[in-house]
Amino acid sequence: MFTRGTLIYIAQRLVLILLAVLGVSSLVFLGIHRLPGDALFSEHLHGDQYQQTLHHYGLDRPLWVQYVSFLAGMLHGDLGESLVNRGVPITPIVVREMSVSAEIGFVALLFTIGVGMLFGVVAAIRQNTWTDYLLSTASVVGYSMPNFVIATFLILVFGIWLDNLTQGTFYFQIGWPGRYGNIGAIWLPAFALGFPYASIVARLTRASMLEVIRQDYVRTARAKGLRESVIMIRHALRNALIPVITILGPLVIGIITGGVVIENIFGIPGLGKEFANSILNRDYNIVIGVFTGYAALVGLANLGVDLLYVVIDPRIRY
Amino acid sequence: MAATAAAVITRPIAPEQASLWSDAWRRLRRNRLALAGVIYLTFVLIIALVAIVWTPYSTFRVGVGIPYSGPSSQHWFGVDGLGRDTLSRLMAGAQVSLIVGVGTQVLVLAIGVPIGLAAGYFRGLFDQVVSFLINLFYGIPDLLVALILVFLLGPSLTNIIIAIAVTRWMDMARLVRGQTLSLREREFVEAARAAGAKPAKILVGHILPNALGPIIIQATFGIPAAILFEAFLSFLGLGVPPPTPTWGGMAAEGIVTIRISPAMVIAPSIALSLTLMAFNFLGDGLRDALDPRGRR
Repeated sequence: MFTRGTLIYIAQRLVLILLAVLGVSSLVFLGIHRLPGDALFSEHLHGDQYQQTLHHYGLDRPLWVQYVSFLAGMLHGDLGESLVNRGVPITPIVVREMSVSAEIGFVALLFTIGVGMLFGVVAAIRQNTWTDYLLSTASVVGYSMPNFVIATFLILVFGIWLDNLTQGTFYFQIGWPGRYGNIGAIWLPAFALGFPYASIVARLTRASMLEVIRQDYVRTARAKGLRESVIMIRHALRNALIPVITILGPLVIGIITGGVVIENIFGIPGLGKEFANSILNRDYNIVIGVFTGYAALVGLANLGVDLLYVVIDPRIRY
Repeated sequence: MAATAAAVITRPIAPEQASLWSDAWRRLRRNRLALAGVIYLTFVLIIALVAIVWTPYSTFRVGVGIPYSGPSSQHWFGVDGLGRDTLSRLMAGAQVSLIVGVGTQVLVLAIGVPIGLAAGYFRGLFDQVVSFLINLFYGIPDLLVALILVFLLGPSLTNIIIAIAVTRWMDMARLVRGQTLSLREREFVEAARAAGAKPAKILVGHILPNALGPIIIQATFGIPAAILFEAFLSFLGLGVPPPTPTWGGMAAEGIVTIRISPAMVIAPSIALSLTLMAFNFLGDGLRDALDPRGRR
């Protein structure tokens, strides 16, 4: 499956990802340093102390010197230290938060593909029945609802109304136990994150299933007397999957960016939460680090999707 | 010679074209979901226009009601944390959403259509550069680019429209390029070229009108995408800065106090979702009506 060519391809892509990460972080670095104002300026810090702090972060040097040392740090995997919490290195924070964001994104992706395909197949098999109309309408509704709206209603229903209804026996506890979420904490955010995309997958699956089940080989399979479930799953669905696979790339990007909002709503300690916090705190070093983390996450996720193509479709070779 | 050739060509085509549009309109009217979308959007537009001159309470005035109080006969959708009337702010928020949605699409059309036409018609190096740029922009996450841009330019209505257009122009450019690529090989374009028409005349007079259907559909789907985008930005605190009311910003304010005052977050959420849904239904209807291949 993974030939030598594939390994070379992976190596090339990793180099490209590194370049993209450097590009994004440089853009944000230079952009931020052009902004008016000063991250450290406040009424608590003035005179000598202010100068010393500037010096500590190297902010008193010319911009190009700062940029060169920033790039040098990046190449060593060092993103500098937090401007708000002095002495706290950023790289471990960003790496940890990347893994948390990846966790929730992965669960959401599984949900998206699973539910989306299931609904799409059911709608296609029951074409032009009320099941089909219901699912098709639900999918338009689904992708018209921003994920924060879905999240809000889920919190209302599972976090508050269910809590009131059952006197607090069953309800959804918003929050994150420990470093990574367990299944009890993750299912609701993953649902909110994946639902709009599940609608898109359902629409696509339905359309391509409808096309495939009219093909001759499906009729042949029926003529052979195969069971309907075998025809649908082994013959129709496998081929209906191909258009769905092609949107996997945009889907993954959508889920990663959608996570910015969902993490903030559910208090998940991932990159998205850090992003909002660091902007509010004007901790510009962390802002740069978060964008760098996102660039890396998106690059790696895209690489993963492209490698998945090789696994699913044997015609694709790199 | 050229004039007579053009006259001979246009005469039989003209009624055919007229029937395409009237046909499309007839089919659109029969699509009940699309029609409901049109009616709802007209309603939102009227609300937004009315909000320019009149809202039940001032949009910015604090303390017109008890903070966090729910719906009542004086305040239909409740009062927010500063004691501002939610209904009034919803009405004003409709303006922001419509301006962002339509403004972005105007900008996207202005960037995407000429680039797509030129790339598809002239091919060559320009096309390669454009195609590379389109693929590049598809590869990077739009929300992050928009966030960087808004973060660097500073949040304001204009900057948000620019940021969204920068991340979405390639949808239109790719569509127009593809349409142009196939239309430029058609006989009527060849005939126009043989009659001595200049490229600009061919592009504007022959190719663009024939690509108009897909462009309209794309723009219709682009508007809710832009509105959604603005809501995201506002939700993250990088949207149109307060005190200007936006649906996304109102939802973000409300979600913090969802236990005390669910109306604060439910009202803008529903307004936003219904508007997006209406545009999507309208887009679906337009696609069924204008796309000849989808004719049932």
